[in-house]
Amino acid sequence: MTTDTTDLPENETEVGDALDTRVPVTVLTGFLGSGKTTLLNRILTEQHGLRIAVIENEFGEVGIDDALVLDAEEEIFEMNNGCICCTVRGDLIRILGALMRRRERFDRIVIETTGLAEPAPVAQTFFMDDEIASQLRLDAIVTLVDAAHIRAHLDEVKPEGVENEAVEQIAFADRIVLNKTDLVDHQTLAEVVARIRAVNALADILPAQQAAVDLPRILDVHAFDLDRVLETDPQFLTETEHQHDTTVTSVGIDLEGELDEDRLNTWLGTLLRERGTDIFRSKGILALEGAERQYVFQGVHMLLDGEMGRQWGIGEPRRNRLVFIGRNLDRDELNAGFAACLTATPAAVTA
Amino acid sequence: MSTATTLDVDTAWETAVEDAPVAVHSAAGLVAVAGADGTCWILDTTTGDIVATVTLPGGILAAQLSPDGAHLALGGPFGHATWSRATNTTLISKTGNWSAAVRWGGNDKVAVASGRRALVLAADGEQLWATDPAPSTVTDVAWLRENRRLATTAYNGVRCYERHSARPVTEYGYLGSHLALAIAPTGRWICSGNQDASIHIWRTLPQPSAGGTPIGGDLTMHGYPDKIARLAFDDTGYWLASDGAPDITVWDFSGKGPEGTRPRTLRAHETVTALAWRPGGAGILASAGAEGTLALWRATRGRAGARLRPAHTRELDQPVTALAWAGPDLLVTADWEGRVHASRLPAALPR
Ligand SMILES: [Zn+2]
Repeated sequence: MTTDTTDLPENETEVGDALDTRVPVTVLTGFLGSGKTTLLNRILTEQHGLRIAVIENEFGEVGIDDALVLDAEEEIFEMNNGCICCTVRGDLIRILGALMRRRERFDRIVIETTGLAEPAPVAQTFFMDDEIASQLRLDAIVTLVDAAHIRAHLDEVKPEGVENEAVEQIAFADRIVLNKTDLVDHQTLAEVVARIRAVNALADILPAQQAAVDLPRILDVHAFDLDRVLETDPQFLTETEHQHDTTVTSVGIDLEGELDEDRLNTWLGTLLRERGTDIFRSKGILALEGAERQYVFQGVHMLLDGEMGRQWGIGEPRRNRLVFIGRNLDRDELNAGFAACLTATPAAVTA
Repeated sequence: MSTATTLDVDTAWETAVEDAPVAVHSAAGLVAVAGADGTCWILDTTTGDIVATVTLPGGILAAQLSPDGAHLALGGPFGHATWSRATNTTLISKTGNWSAAVRWGGNDKVAVASGRRALVLAADGEQLWATDPAPSTVTDVAWLRENRRLATTAYNGVRCYERHSARPVTEYGYLGSHLALAIAPTGRWICSGNQDASIHIWRTLPQPSAGGTPIGGDLTMHGYPDKIARLAFDDTGYWLASDGAPDITVWDFSGKGPEGTRPRTLRAHETVTALAWRPGGAGILASAGAEGTLALWRATRGRAGARLRPAHTRELDQPVTALAWAGPDLLVTADWEGRVHASRLPAALPR
């Protein structure tokens, strides 16, 4: 279940309880010329024998007999809760709905979006439509980046209130394929990686030439599964140095102790309600007071998906790790707000 | 709480088709069973024998026979088609447009959703007129005022058109993605099912003012857990049944309408896959669920707010994906595997 309210959502099933048989859906984003079509053709060729359905926004050169190709024109729908960040893709809802009514079962669905498409409504569709969420699983948002041109795209100044699409696509990504690395020197490559990291500290960056990326690194990676949240224990959480020249950044919080559930609900609920438009993605593993299991959550804007995760180990320090990726995030304010949710007597902090 | 009195239900015939059915419709001694992949089988309601097959390449989303059974209209992901019984010929229109709804307005014309427009075709498939584009793909169409006025649902409301004008003659606005349309046979109410898990209701009476703006308030039924994709009035126009929850809701539209009342709720399913009122207006509803239950209800019994139990249930190996009444005493269901089953009910049902 997903929720748009202040209480922490809690699924009935716990992590890893049942085999997830839902069809995985990969979202491919990236600007025209970033190598999306090359990657898509690679997926269709190398995943030979799998039944793949492709939903594409622009007429690509996909020409594989085994694949069903459907065209979609982006139809972004606001929901009636009056919130501008709560949008879904109506075109995807109807196309995916029709695919699921076919007797033929697909092993994988790939949604290719245009360079200008917003990733949020695509992801939110999987949170907000129960019919889709019950049969399909959003696996990962994969963003292709042209190493030679991405800086120019990131630096492009947009009119007030218009988001830079390149920044958004990087901010929402679970995997970033840094393509055409052969076209830039080492210095440039290092700078590009630093720019990407400053926006999105969570995504894996996969350097590639001619979109030749190891497919298991981008397909079936379960990036939206709660039991995979933060499993890679990213380094950035302890980093303090960050570039401050971008308005879209990642903020990581890592605090030991246990959380007062009521205070956490109030803080997180208020934060997502008031700042949900600016918070693109969030992930966290939390220690609720007295809970035997971890609480795991992730969100897209103000939509949150959460459940109880694995058992805390015997003697394992109760630790809270969470990450926000978004626009104009105030690191100190987020840190202070979260720290105030800790119970009055924090568990011993290891030095 | 009403007590369940068992209905006697016999099998009239059984047959099978080679696809997953997405639509079943019956008229004039024929029943059309449309498969998702693009074949529609037309059966004789007396014997279950296949009379004809009609194909729409690329798949079928909607199928409806004309009231006299002389023609069939099909809608699919890439266009629409009309079939003539007299000549057993099919006219296919590969428009490239999404056609998820077809609805006959008498025997001579049929409305077809086609991308963001609705087309009105003559029975032989020739286009008579078309609406201007709606803000999104048209999701449903329906006739009112003795088939002179056409209503369409799309993003942000219901639009009504007449032959002389491509622009709407009346608009019923409400934010959000409207998925399904039901118009009371009394002509008094227009109801739409919304992606945001609500039913929106407009009064059509008293008559529109000179400016074409409908007089009278509109009404929203909130609180459903899921989107409303199926809703149907019975023949009297007094009762509206819908999905949107495991429990089917039945609203009383007699008198002043459902405002301030509570619906009857029908509990048998986990997720509703199909529902249809028995013709004739005796309050009998057939429904099916994803869990495999087929249920018959005396859906208007008891008081407002009552939770009703089925008058008859049958557990099936596979969920019914579509069903239709072929007259008051024959219910035709089609399951996921393509099994088509006709059940005979006693003409005079015990009250
Ligand atoms: Zn929102």
